[in-house]
Amino acid sequence: MKTSSHSFKLLAIAAAAAMMLSACSSGPTRPEGADEVRGKLTQLQSDAQLATLAPVAIKEAEAAVVAAEEPREDLEQGRHLVTIADRKVDTARAQAQARLTEDQRKVLSAQREGARLESRTREADIARSDANIARADADLSRSQAEMARMDTDAAKQKAAELQRQIAELNAKATERGLVVTLGDVLFATGRSELKGGSASNLSKLAAFLKQYPDRTVLIEGHTDNVGSDASNVSLSQRRADSVKSYLVGQGVGAARLTSSGMGEGSPTAGNESATGRQQNRRVEVVISNPLVSTLR
Amino acid sequence: MTRTMQPIRRFAASAGGLLLLAACASVPMPPTEALKAAEQAIASAEKARVADHASPELGEAREKLTAANAAVQKEDMVVAQRLAEQSRADAELALAKSEAAKAKAVNDEMKTSTEAMKQEMQRNPGVK
Repeated sequence: MKTSSHSFKLLAIAAAAAMMLSACSSGPTRPEGADEVRGKLTQLQSDAQLATLAPVAIKEAEAAVVAAEEPREDLEQGRHLVTIADRKVDTARAQAQARLTEDQRKVLSAQREGARLESRTREADIARSDANIARADADLSRSQAEMARMDTDAAKQKAAELQRQIAELNAKATERGLVVTLGDVLFATGRSELKGGSASNLSKLAAFLKQYPDRTVLIEGHTDNVGSDASNVSLSQRRADSVKSYLVGQGVGAARLTSSGMGEGSPTAGNESATGRQQNRRVEVVISNPLVSTLR
Repeated sequence: MTRTMQPIRRFAASAGGLLLLAACASVPMPPTEALKAAEQAIASAEKARVADHASPELGEAREKLTAANAAVQKEDMVVAQRLAEQSRADAELALAKSEAAKAKAVNDEMKTSTEAMKQEMQRNPGVK
């Protein structure tokens, strides 16, 4: 009796409680929209790039979806849980996307560095090539200077050589040009043929003229005042011609050579003495000389 | 006998009451925790300058927080709780979206500058 009344009362209370409980959860349905949220979550979880990047947020989203999927009588609560789950899935995706974007930054940074490096290399190349051009310019002007110096050296050497040769020929620099005076030792008295042995002096002259082919030459024959004017002019002309033909024979172009007989009209000394007359009997070779000015 | 019955009946009654409480959770207490969490989430989103980008989620979070507070005034604590929770979820989503957008903006800027550098190089005649 004691136990039965006890049991009955307990049972009654329990039944009442159970009824109350079932009042809140009877006719449960899966909330609307829960499937869509599950679909979004599955999509995120199966995204190979994103799935591992926001583990905490995805776990929270999973729990929220599970809660939303639970069938329930209270439609408002169901909608609420679906809304929460939806936001949490979106949040997880956004977080994962942010992480992925940040991870991609390393690659982008490397690309930018690569581009920057390439651009610097290009600039350096340009600078280097500028430097090369400048160096080449410098080299060129240096070598030009060198060549100019060599030219100068060569010119000096040539000038020195010319000086030496002129000295050897006993030539005198005059306003008319270089004048080489060939004494009467070249000719026998009254004769116009060159004496043997006079060749060495004339051959130097020939060599000199061949070395300076741009010069023209005037060959003048002169006599003393012995004999008639006409014969003196004729003799001096023939002597000049002899010298000219010798030079032509040595290879000097005839076109450069002009011979003329001056007779007794241009003495260099008095005809009173034998020495003076000897000095007046001569052949002068006048070498037109544009180099005279540069020699000074 | 009555002495033994008394505590049992009292226990049973209170157990039933507890079950009832747990089942429907309809005790009218303001959802202080949820409201506080929603406020913090909105503050975080604002601090991250989410409003710089157009954010419908942040607007929604603010509206729901206001509505939750209004529901508390009407002693509709269940609705207040839900609105507060949703407000927080909206604000957190706003923040996450904003972070993602910012990260993308940084990347886009990097891509643009890299591209600009490449193009400049192509325009440049290079080695003279």
